[in-house]
Amino acid sequence: MSNKDGSSFFYPTLLSEAAKWAQKNSLWPMPFGTSCCGIEMMSTISSTYDLSRFGAEVVRFSPRQADMLIVAGTITTKMAPVLRTIYDQMLEPKWVIAMGACSSSGGIFDTYSVLQGIDEIMPVDVYVPGCPPIPEGLIHAIIHLQKKIENGMDRKPAERPTFDDAQNAMSYRKGVGYDLKANFVITPDHVKEAKAKQELK
Amino acid sequence: MRTNSIAPGAAYLIAQDNADARLTEKYGADRKFEKDKLGEPVIWAKNPDDMKLLAKSFKIDPSFLIDFLSDITAYDNVDLEDGDKRFVLVYQLYSTTRHVRIRIKCLLGEHEQAVTLSDEWAGANWLEREVFDMYGITFRDHPNLRRIMMDERFSGHPLRKEFPMKQREPFSDNIRFHLGANPLEVDAHITEVGPGTPLTTKLGQDLYKPQGSK
Amino acid sequence: MSVKIQDPHQLNDFYNPNVLINLGPAHPAMHGTLRVMCRVNGETIEDAACEIGYLHRGIEKLGEDKTYHQWMVYTDRLNYCSALNNNIAYAMAVENLMSISPTERCQWIRVICMELSRIIDHLVCVAANALDIGAMTVFFLLIHWREQAYTMIESMCGMRLTTTYARIGGMSYDLPDNFAARLTKFCEEFPKTIDEVEGLLNSNRIWIDRTKDVGVISKADALSYSITGVIARASGVDHDLRRDRPYYMYPDLDFDVVVGSNGDVMDRYLIRMEEMRQSVRLLKQCNSRITKGPLWVDDKRVLIPDKQDVYTKMEVLIHHFKIFMDGIQVPKGETFTCVEGPNGELGFYIVSRGGPKAWRMRVKSPSFMNYQAFEHSIKGGKIPDAVAHLGSVNIIAGELDR
Repeated sequence: MSNKDGSSFFYPTLLSEAAKWAQKNSLWPMPFGTSCCGIEMMSTISSTYDLSRFGAEVVRFSPRQADMLIVAGTITTKMAPVLRTIYDQMLEPKWVIAMGACSSSGGIFDTYSVLQGIDEIMPVDVYVPGCPPIPEGLIHAIIHLQKKIENGMDRKPAERPTFDDAQNAMSYRKGVGYDLKANFVITPDHVKEAKAKQELK
Repeated sequence: MRTNSIAPGAAYLIAQDNADARLTEKYGADRKFEKDKLGEPVIWAKNPDDMKLLAKSFKIDPSFLIDFLSDITAYDNVDLEDGDKRFVLVYQLYSTTRHVRIRIKCLLGEHEQAVTLSDEWAGANWLEREVFDMYGITFRDHPNLRRIMMDERFSGHPLRKEFPMKQREPFSDNIRFHLGANPLEVDAHITEVGPGTPLTTKLGQDLYKPQGSK
Repeated sequence: MSVKIQDPHQLNDFYNPNVLINLGPAHPAMHGTLRVMCRVNGETIEDAACEIGYLHRGIEKLGEDKTYHQWMVYTDRLNYCSALNNNIAYAMAVENLMSISPTERCQWIRVICMELSRIIDHLVCVAANALDIGAMTVFFLLIHWREQAYTMIESMCGMRLTTTYARIGGMSYDLPDNFAARLTKFCEEFPKTIDEVEGLLNSNRIWIDRTKDVGVISKADALSYSITGVIARASGVDHDLRRDRPYYMYPDLDFDVVVGSNGDVMDRYLIRMEEMRQSVRLLKQCNSRITKGPLWVDDKRVLIPDKQDVYTKMEVLIHHFKIFMDGIQVPKGETFTCVEGPNGELGFYIVSRGGPKAWRMRVKSPSFMNYQAFEHSIKGGKIPDAVAHLGSVNIIAGELDR
């Protein structure tokens, strides 16, 4: 069957290929913007770096209607259960983009309250480096995700870490096994020792 | 030759000098008085009650007319360089009419209790909660002394010098819903009493057994 | 009458008009990680409590572990909508500790940066506020100008958002050659957009209904809660640190401080628009008066040598190494340096016991104080009013939680 000019209006293909094409070109993002990367994500969605050119126009703030979770910003240990709940509320198939250094690996904040990367609590598909990544970087990540969807439809279901895995993954857990070499830790005993040493000299 | 960021010949410098003079003459008798690197006055109170007394008297003193609380913070004096006690509590005060700044500091022992400033300035509420969260300094008569930055199940006070930087604690769920000071008890104000509202139906009366009189 | 209920689930009973709902902590990207727990009766909020700390990253603790130059990076992440302002305020604080005053050219550049960051912060605030209320066109109009400003900032220091532009004693790079022309063009074309947006919103029936007498904070409350910045000025508190406790070139520059009377969302929006105009006025003055001269202060403790010399001369290489690996040696002392940021009074209280690292690095953030009054001022209002009010308070979570 063809039109008068020779183009045809049905294409024989596999159902999986058609499904992949549909999914990759209509990724509806659920933006989870916590800090600075959230502002760059806002810039990406606005008119200069229009994200809707890539199908991600419908920015739904409801996880039940979205299929791509963009985690933009630092995730703290207080926020981690909230993020996991949002991830669990999304329906399959779903993809996760860890935007920025903080959500990929904790970024510049290796402190007592920051999760060192969201892959401690959920499987991540694309990591975007940058602090914050410029909007072109995020667009590059979404194009990369589209290629990933196109190539890997027979991906194994993600091995989601169990709750215990996530708990154990968080390194430096209180009191367990880490050699605390932070050299600015000062206790009153240190002070007494230092004073005693000074007096000896 | 300028040595800081203050614009030369600024009008407030005269008021600030007058304020410094008045501080030493009226309040500096048995309290230590010094100036910081920017020339702002720092007065050391004798104890937490004295701190509150100073703040209150600065409010009415005509050469200061302090009406603005800039900040309440603390720092750890574990090497005992500023005095012989563990913590130093700091108030930063400002006057929007006279444009003068005053800093009040006080030494606090490790288990000593400070006095809340939230009945004078409502903004002191969260500032004191943060000092409690980060250092463990409690405030007497504070309406809602809970952790504010960290999760309420976190243990340890992070900004103390012996707390290691990377000591993390995982939490499995979000904190409980609460509507104020006490997360376990919820005050339900049932404002309307009339036909069809809970208190007039039998079911409503069974569920909400009112205590005390109307 | 007041009833004490032990089990909060009893409140979710069918006959009870009171419902417990949560606004947050996963907000639409604009406002960040805030949580407001409300008890609503129908749509009227009867009781509210705010919960913060979902973005607490331990920046103050890091201040005790990193050298002064290393910590400059964290100052960008405080108020990330106006990163230049935070960098300069921190550099100002450390320079005060070291008794250094930057050169005249450096001061002009810093004033330009601070006013530019004021413009971009107000742009984000008004755009997000309008978007929440439903005026999406305004969002796109204003974000376009934020992108233009970003391009200018990128030409200055290479980065759009988290700039780390200021250094202790100077700035990292001098202004590019065509900057004056670009700034002139920006100052000429930007006010037209402010006029356009004001034409869209000021006499708009829907905007007036949504913002007039909504989220009112009285003058007494504003002083009691230590609110600063636009919200305080909207409530009638005449407090502006650029005029009252001036720093750098501000006494020589002409600008007006805008003070409102009502304390509602409409006043804050109008003040922000007018402040953007005043910032443009300041930028024009700085652009015409900026002097040529050295950028760096002539103080061996902080002067970062020229890269050409670092690559060719041995002593300069060692000096550069010492500055960055050991850190600059700051004398003992303390300072509480405040600037008038776009959000309010941003202060850095640095206690130094001598050495390359601070003993205590305290950030007094305006958003923290501004948000305290929020839970009290939404009681009695409706949920959409709370959303409009939240947009006008301009809470930046990075600054709120540090």
